This record gives sequence, structure tokens and C-alpha cells, in this order.
Amino acid sequence: MTSEVKRAAVSERGPGEPTAMGFIISSIVFFVITALVGILAALKFVWPEYLGSMSFLTFGRMRPLHVNGILFGWLLAADMGLVYYVVPRLCGNRLWSEKLGLITLGLFDAVVLAAVFTTLGGWTQGLEYAELPLPLDLGVTVAWVLFGVNIFATIATRKHQQMYVSLWYIMGAIVWTAFVYITGNFATELFSGVNQANLNWFYVHNAVGLIFTPIGLALAYYFIPKAAQAPLYSHRLSMAGFWTIAFIYVWTGAHHMLHGPISQWLQTVAILCSVMLIIPVWTVITNFYGTVKGRWNRVNSDPILKYLIAGTTFYLLTCFQGPMHSLRTVNAIVSKTDWIVGHAHMAVLGAFSFFAIAGMLFAVPLMVRRPLYSAKLAQQSFWLMFTGGLIYFVSLWIGGFIQGLQWNNPTIPFIDTVIAMRPYWIARAFSGVIIFAGVVLFFYNIIQTIKGGVKPVAAEPRTA
Amino acid sequence: MFGKFDKNALMLFTGALTFFLIGGLMTTVLPWITEKSWGNPVAGLKEYSDQELRGRAIYIREGCWYCHTQQVRTLESDVKRYGWRGVDAPISLPGEFTRDKPHLFGTRRIGPDLARVGGKYDKSWHRTHFNNPRDLVPGSVMPPFPWIVTSNGGKDLDDLVAYVQSLGRGRDWRPNHDYEQ
Ligand code: HEC
Repeated sequence: MTSEVKRAAVSERGPGEPTAMGFIISSIVFFVITALVGILAALKFVWPEYLGSMSFLTFGRMRPLHVNGILFGWLLAADMGLVYYVVPRLCGNRLWSEKLGLITLGLFDAVVLAAVFTTLGGWTQGLEYAELPLPLDLGVTVAWVLFGVNIFATIATRKHQQMYVSLWYIMGAIVWTAFVYITGNFATELFSGVNQANLNWFYVHNAVGLIFTPIGLALAYYFIPKAAQAPLYSHRLSMAGFWTIAFIYVWTGAHHMLHGPISQWLQTVAILCSVMLIIPVWTVITNFYGTVKGRWNRVNSDPILKYLIAGTTFYLLTCFQGPMHSLRTVNAIVSKTDWIVGHAHMAVLGAFSFFAIAGMLFAVPLMVRRPLYSAKLAQQSFWLMFTGGLIYFVSLWIGGFIQGLQWNNPTIPFIDTVIAMRPYWIARAFSGVIIFAGVVLFFYNIIQTIKGGVKPVAAEPRTA
Repeated sequence: MFGKFDKNALMLFTGALTFFLIGGLMTTVLPWITEKSWGNPVAGLKEYSDQELRGRAIYIREGCWYCHTQQVRTLESDVKRYGWRGVDAPISLPGEFTRDKPHLFGTRRIGPDLARVGGKYDKSWHRTHFNNPRDLVPGSVMPPFPWIVTSNGGKDLDDLVAYVQSLGRGRDWRPNHDYEQ
């Protein structure tokens, strides 16, 4: 990419990009709030009775608030904001309609805000990731269609014919998400029992696999070469990766019900395809590491590259774990334990949130045409999130694995396996506080960059 | 051949959607057609009573399903652990869940599986347990639910207990050792 020329063109962008900026700001506000809810929920495992006398603060209401808040309020909004930023740049034009973008933002935020109340009030559909009541689902769907129209119209009117791989992933994600979301939130209403569960897992699995994965990869494909100031390692590999993800991912939903009351053939198909997912993951990883190869010294000084490379590594680990969990023998130990919770946090926090954070640290200064408020603060927030994240993942893996082994010995009373988790739950709550500190620093850094605060120390401006 | 796709947005769109739909249809629509056992109730499965349905709504509202699964899996450890006085718990069959909407299979066992818990404890046990689980099981991390015990003049508690006692009765596996009798 002819980045210098392009950047110059970009800085002539005129009245700014309110849609992208709006989504970014809204997402980081929800990041702080719902990360805090996560800590409050984690503390309930240390002191089960604190905040326990009020129905709206019970674990069963805080957990969906944390999960949905992080997935939709933070990550999806962050991804959408960055897509609004990336797509016009890759197309050599401007967003098709800022007006439509702002309407989308208003609708999306109204839904997320309403969801805080419905969730705490216990108004839920009772399906994982699909807890929001139907009217709110409708709001999300409309917002997604508006988002899709805007992005597709921008792509249709692009100046560069060649579409960079990020654009494929974004287009794929928009189409797949529409189907996946409608299946998980509306089609499920027509079924009960195992039929419904099958659709539910199709949705839960593909929410991660065909919403957050492709958008997260699209962003990483865009920001890694930018931040490393190097061309993408291999265009051909990126094509192979895209088409294998498009084909394989969708088959794997039933691996959430291994050993459960669901047909064997479906379990086996899910296992086979889960294992095959190693192929696209391998192509992506080779591409990302290959791009940074020979420039590792930059990773030391640049917090953005740090987030991207750490994110890539966590992505690799998550995607290695996933296929392993789907093997029947491994599944018999880790399924239903906190191991899976550690795994999920590595995907959503370690990989996809890190990509989004890196994207914001890169994009926001360019959007406001001011250097990042503090590179040092960005380094510190990275180390807090990274260390906290590692403690979180590892403590739950160890604890979960031990609990899984204990469950496999039916002579151990269940409560003893709960008590054995205590040290790991304490470590988890502690790690949550460290992660949260990193989130707050990140939030402060972005807000100060937007407001144009005075830097405490002279950080080198990013000319990248 | 795939080279064309990165110039033509419409082709890319169609290709990505087709690939997705193949797997999507094969794993969602196909089993719905072929797997008759998923939709046919097992013999002897009773519809939920109104009271049980109200209790089920409380179970959903309070998020019990985030901590409790409802499935005895095809694993020796499940069958033994959730059995009763030496009697193995029957493995959960799809036909036991046809009336469940939403399904409550669950993904996480912070507490034990509840698929066969009906009849394991009597009502006064549940009342004490919901009010504060640690009064009965020291070391438990189950939240206290005092508002269930007290609100609506005890009706909520009655409803929830009725639902909990109905769990796993699709297969009548412990008729003679039941706290209710
Ligand atoms: C934070 C997780 C959590 C939530 C939420 C939760 N429980 Fe529990 N539950 C546990 C744990 C841990 C145990 C095991 C220790 C004990 O018996 O208290 C348990 C035990 C039980 C038992 C006894 C099972 C047996 O076989 O001994 C029942 C019945 C039960 N819970 C029902 C419920 C209901 C109904 C709700 C919702 C109103 C609920 N639980 C919410 C964690 C939870």
C-alpha cells in the first residue's frame, strides 16, 4: 500500500468520521462498565454472599450482563467502528453515508443500553448469547442491516478494483452474521428441546467463528502491515485461509454437546471439522508472523505491534485448544469446567479485543490528527492486560482441568470439587482487577487523545 | 481460479454465502428432518403443569442455568455421579426434552447437574437451601435467593420446587426411594 500518499489524502478528509468515532467511543465506555461487572461477578466466587440479597445483582443476572456487554457493547461496536474506519481507506473513497452511520449508532446504543436493564431485571430468552428479549433482537438486526448496506455501498463505489483481504473478511462477516444472528435469535423461537439446542449452538459457536473471527482477522490483516510498515507476507495464503474458514467453520456447532443427547453423526462431523480448522488458522498465523518477520525490534518499542502480536499468539493458542477440546477423550475432562471459561477469555480478550485495541490506538490519532496522548500509557495498559490475562487463563485452565479429573471419579463428592476451585477463583478475581486497570488506562489514553489533552511526557509522535 | 474473487465483490459475496450455506443447512436443517428422535417425546413424558412452568420461568429468570446443566451424558462418571443410592442415573435422551422451551441443557457445571434431581431432596431442604445454600452445604458458592423464599407469600418457592421436583421424571428411575413419598 502506498501509505504515505494515502495518509496525506486521508488527512484531507474534511469533516471527520463521526460514525467511526461514535462507535469507538461508545464501545470503550461499555468496555469499562462491563469489565467491571465481570470483576463483581468473579468476586461472588470468593464471597458468595456479597451483593447477594438483591435480585438484580445476583450472579445469574450479572453474568449475562458481562457476557453480552463485552460481546456486543464493547467488541461488536468496536469492530463496527473500526470497519467504518478501514473500509473507506481500502476502497479509496469515503463512507457511503455518515448520516446512515449515525442512525445505526443511535439504534445500536439504544439497544445496548436497554439490554442493561432487561438483563438485570431478569427479562431473558434463556438462551446463551441470545438472552436479549425479542424487541431488542429486532433492533440489533436492523442496525446490522443498516451497517451492511452502508459498508456494501461503500465497497460497491470503490476506487480500487482489487479488494484487499480485509474487505473479503468484512463482507463475509456481514453476510454470515445476518444468517447466524437470525438463526440464533429468531429461528430458535420456533423449536424446543434438542432441535432448539442445535440451533442455539450453531449460533453460539458461529457468533465467535463467523462474526468476531472474520472481523478481528480483517482488522489484524489491515493493522499488522500498517504498524509493522511491511507488506503482507502472502496474498495467496490469505485467500486459502479465507475460503477454508468460509467452508469449515460452520459445521462445528455440535461440539458443544459432545457426549450429550444429540446424534452421534453430528458429533463426529463437528469433531472432524473442528480439527480441520487448524488449516485456516495455520494460514493466518503464518501470514501474520511472516509479515512482522525481520522487524521484531519494533515490537519492543511499539505498543500497537505488541497488542497485535500478542493477539496473534493468543489466537493461535485458542484455535489450537478448540480442536483439542473437541476430541472425545479431552472433552470428557474439560467440558463444563472453568477450563472452557479460560479458553473463551483468551479468544475474546486475548485475541479479538487485543486486535480492536491495537486498531484504535492506531486509528484514533489519525482520525483526530494528533499523536497518541501517551505511548507510555499504552505500553503500561498492554502489560497490565497481558499479565492479568495470562493469570486469568492459566489459573482457570489448571483449576478446570483438576476439577474435570475429579468429576471423573464419582466417589469424590461434588462439593469437594467446588472447594478445590477456591484458590483458582481467588487468582481469577485478582487477575480481573489487573485486567481492569489496563482497560481503564486504555480508555483514558483514547479519551485524552480525542480531547487533545496535554501529554505528561513527550512520547514520539506516530508517523507510521 | 479464486483470483477472480478479489476483484469482483458480487462473486465473493456469492461464494462466501454458498460455502456457509452448505455447512449451515447440513448441520441445522438436515438433522431437523432426519433425526425423528429429537422431536418425539419418550413414553410417559408428562406436559409441564402450569405451576411447573411458572417455576421454570423463575429458574430461567434467576440464571440457575448458568451454573447447572441438565444432561446426563454418555459418560460413566455422569451416570454414577448423578445416580441414587447405587442406582445409575439413566442417560438423557433427546425425547425427554421435547417440551423444553427454551432448552436448559447448559454449558457450565459450577453446581451439579440437575437432569435427575427431582425427588432427591424434600421441600424443606430446598427452602433452606435456596435461602442460603451454605446453611446446608458449607463451601457452596451457590448464591442465596432469599427473595424467592419470601416473595409472593411463598408461592414462588412452591413453583420453583415443583419444577425442580419434576426434573428427570421422563424416565421413572427411582420410584421407591423418593423423598417426596
Ligand atoms: C453461582 C452458581 C449457581 C447458581 C446461579 C445456582 N446454583 Fe444451585 N448449586 C451451585 C453449587 C456450587 C451447588 C453445590 C453445592 C450446594 O449444594 O449448594 C448447587 C447445588 C444445587 C442443588 C442441589 C443439587 C444436588 O444434587 O445436591 C440444587 C437443587 C440447586 N443447586 C438448584 C439451583 C436453582 C434452582 C438455582 C436458581 C434459582 C440455582 N441452583 C442457582 C451453584 C449455583
